[in-house]
Amino acid sequence: MTLQQELCSVIPDLRDLPVDRLGELGDSVLAQSIALYRQRLKDNGAPLNSFGSGI
Amino acid sequence: MITTHRLPEEAFAALASGGGDAEVIRHLRAAQLSKQMMLLHVLAESASGDRTDPAAVAFTMARRLLATVQAADPSAFAWALGLPHLGAWVHDCLAHLERGMPPDLGYLAAAAVAAAVRAGVQFELDVPVRDGRVLLPGLGSFRVTDRQPWVRMRGDGESVTVGAHAQVPYAALRPDDGSGAQVRHWQGTLAVRAVAEGQTWDVLLETADQYLDRFTLAMPAAMTPDEAASWRQHVQSAWQVLVRQHGWAAGPIAAGVSVIVPLIPRGDGDLDSATTPAAFGAIATSPPPSPVIMAETLVHEFQHLKLCGLMDMLPLIEHCDDQVYAPWRQDPRPVGGLLQGVYAYLGVVRFWNVQRHVETEPEKIFSAQVTYGRWRRAIEPATGILLGADCLTGIGVRFVELLRDQGRSLESEPVPADASAIAAEVALDHKLTWQLRHSAIDAGVTADLAAAYRRGEPLGDQKLPRVRIEEETRKVDSTTRSRMLSMRYLDPGRYRALCRNGLPGFSRADALLVTGQTTPAAQAYRDEIAGTTEPRPEAWTGLALAMHRLAPTPLRQAFATRLPIMFDVHACLCRQGILGDPLDLAAWFA
Repeated sequence: MTLQQELCSVIPDLRDLPVDRLGELGDSVLAQSIALYRQRLKDNGAPLNSFGSGI
Repeated sequence: MITTHRLPEEAFAALASGGGDAEVIRHLRAAQLSKQMMLLHVLAESASGDRTDPAAVAFTMARRLLATVQAADPSAFAWALGLPHLGAWVHDCLAHLERGMPPDLGYLAAAAVAAAVRAGVQFELDVPVRDGRVLLPGLGSFRVTDRQPWVRMRGDGESVTVGAHAQVPYAALRPDDGSGAQVRHWQGTLAVRAVAEGQTWDVLLETADQYLDRFTLAMPAAMTPDEAASWRQHVQSAWQVLVRQHGWAAGPIAAGVSVIVPLIPRGDGDLDSATTPAAFGAIATSPPPSPVIMAETLVHEFQHLKLCGLMDMLPLIEHCDDQVYAPWRQDPRPVGGLLQGVYAYLGVVRFWNVQRHVETEPEKIFSAQVTYGRWRRAIEPATGILLGADCLTGIGVRFVELLRDQGRSLESEPVPADASAIAAEVALDHKLTWQLRHSAIDAGVTADLAAAYRRGEPLGDQKLPRVRIEEETRKVDSTTRSRMLSMRYLDPGRYRALCRNGLPGFSRADALLVTGQTTPAAQAYRDEIAGTTEPRPEAWTGLALAMHRLAPTPLRQAFATRLPIMFDVHACLCRQGILGDPLDLAAWFA
């Protein structure tokens, strides 16, 4: 059996944490991810991927 | 200690190759759930402490309710936070915060009620009323008659009351898939359960949520029963095409697309479709002309969604202001836009590679062959631009290299010569038109070249200009001719009918070109350009297309690769009152 390689993402895995208690995590990978996401939002926004058949 | 979401290398490679099965999509959705929780946390920090704002209070109550749902029924919690409605809403809230504007916090109350209804959990909280309705995202809406901006909703686990207006069982609060009875006060969101060969796809047709009304065209405010039936048929028919012919795409689409946003079509019959990274799981589209085109649209747009999900997990690209050519767009695109486009068209190429062997009518086979041929040839140069742009991260380079390799493997598949020729010509027409529109060249260098040409000096000694990409450098209006060239394979019956009618409104040269009379067309364009000092960019692209049909020569190469500078030098000569022969000038540039 081979060990499957994995890529580490920038999204913290919060699924097992109560949604209303994330503030208790303090300064952590969550804060870093939030800063990264906000920077992306500032740089790029959320650009539409739009298609028109009349090209 | 929290960790981050992981993506198996195999899943990454599958996505980069344009694929990724339902299990891979579940990785993306899991990360989206954490992303939504993270962004809710950001909003919570901005809302905490303000007990005078009803929206902030409703938000806090809603978050508590969501935590209760999360504990009682994690799947209901994941369903609610996975709704593209919620993704679009939280994105807009953050964008408001970034701009120092108050976010619409109250919306979360409605989402929390939807989650509680789905989980069978008790609740009591105020929710916002908009336009006489209380919208529960993913489920539907209550009609209320009060003019108050908020209404108290209660659920005891069995039935829901909305102020003093309605008492409805939890079980009745569901989307309207056309199979159930009407429920008083309640309008379920239109839904479709598409079934083909035992595979099911449940998807909503959303026309009411303000946060999903964000695409290039508006969504209809409401649908008649006939319109709803028509949209359900579009989805069902496309699902049959996908399940029967494109299994690689069907399962992942069912796992990843939960909402279709119908768009009001433009009047010209063109199809418009769109996605946004803010709303993972939603595809917007105007009505498709056929089940195959609807299926293609779903494949195309789902590629965008997959890439949006992946780019949330792994930054593939850094901030970059470069603008580049994309073979599927009229406008200059940012590098990130090109990445999205080439990934979408990799899916389109895979789609038509199958479809061209499935079609049975000769004209549809030919159309599929040309479409396949046109877009597969776009992958390699587009990935070349991406790899040369210096905007990709390390993992982004790996992604694009895998994507390019997949494109190359598709390049090796044979395409009939007549289909390949039309594909190449249509692609060249698009590229040359784009170059003339958007390539800006320094006027001083152009004047030096024009002077050198007049003096009879060889080009070899001259400095060739750098090209800047600009929004609109020259006005080029060749849309009618381009559409006619594409009509040869997209709508051959109409093409033949227009040719029989003598192509009213076409110039003589254009009429000769689109009817395949290449040598007379080349001469007519040459005469048109040489006979006036007025700039004729449409004639230059027409001449380039005519030359492209003739045997390969250095002259042909000059038209294909140096058209903007040739046009500008010719225009410079015209301004000096010199009527130049375009072929002679092209020979100088060759």
